[in-house]
Amino acid sequence: MNDKRHDRTDVELDRLFEMARQAPPEISDVERNFETRVMARIRESREQREPWYTLAWRLAPIFLVLTILLGGWSVLYPPVHPADPVTMLASGAQEVALLDYLTGE
Amino acid sequence: MAVPDEDADLVRSAIGGDDDAFTELVRRHKGTVLRSSARFARNPAELEDLGQETFLRVYRDLRSFRGDAPFGHWLSRVTVRVCYDALRKRRREEKDVSLEVLAAPVADPSAGNGPSAQLARMILDQAMSRLKPDDRLVITLYELEDRSVREVAELTGWSEGTVKVRAFRARQTLKRLIGGDDER
Repeated sequence: MNDKRHDRTDVELDRLFEMARQAPPEISDVERNFETRVMARIRESREQREPWYTLAWRLAPIFLVLTILLGGWSVLYPPVHPADPVTMLASGAQEVALLDYLTGE
Repeated sequence: MAVPDEDADLVRSAIGGDDDAFTELVRRHKGTVLRSSARFARNPAELEDLGQETFLRVYRDLRSFRGDAPFGHWLSRVTVRVCYDALRKRRREEKDVSLEVLAAPVADPSAGNGPSAQLARMILDQAMSRLKPDDRLVITLYELEDRSVREVAELTGWSEGTVKVRAFRARQTLKRLIGGDDER
């Protein structure tokens, strides 16, 4: 009994699909001058300027990479301190100069 | 870039910034896009939105079009994607029409595009609005647009097995709704 009902529903559904296919959707009103409206919207979206923080976010990865590179550079190539005490003092390396003096180097 | 169809020159020009070329592409393909989108839109305003969104997305992503298939195929995939996104945005809508409408008798299909065909569309629209977005997309492409399983798989990016399962599931749900034993 239930199977028969499902068979009937299958037929009914197929018929609905067939009829719906025969009645294509009405699009003529929307289709009229559609390209003009699309192009207007495209121009509008092109003219919208991006806010400054969008640019900042886009630049963030570049700054991150730059920071990592500089960090790596400073670890791999530590600054060489000149042996001359006067130059060391002038360059602000007082602690190194004092240490050198105390250790007798 | 080798584009093996007559839209090739227009696509190249549009990528180069020629607005007239893109306008011509829209003019050529608007009918196809709007007819497909109309199966998912609830009213003309929504159809307009779906159509515009499709071409905006095409304009934005035109550079990613590799040209190894005709432009029309790529455009169809974009259209399906836009409609699918719209379906997911509005789940479980259109509850205002009673289920009695779904069980209304349908006249002979040989009657053509008369009121019966419109009624059939209305019944199906109401019933299909209760489907999950995935199922609705599949059943629309498979049954209403009369596409093959393979075509539906290409358009949606799902496997053929998935398409078959979803089409079957959607059909079972529709049968329950049309048959009048909604289990909700």
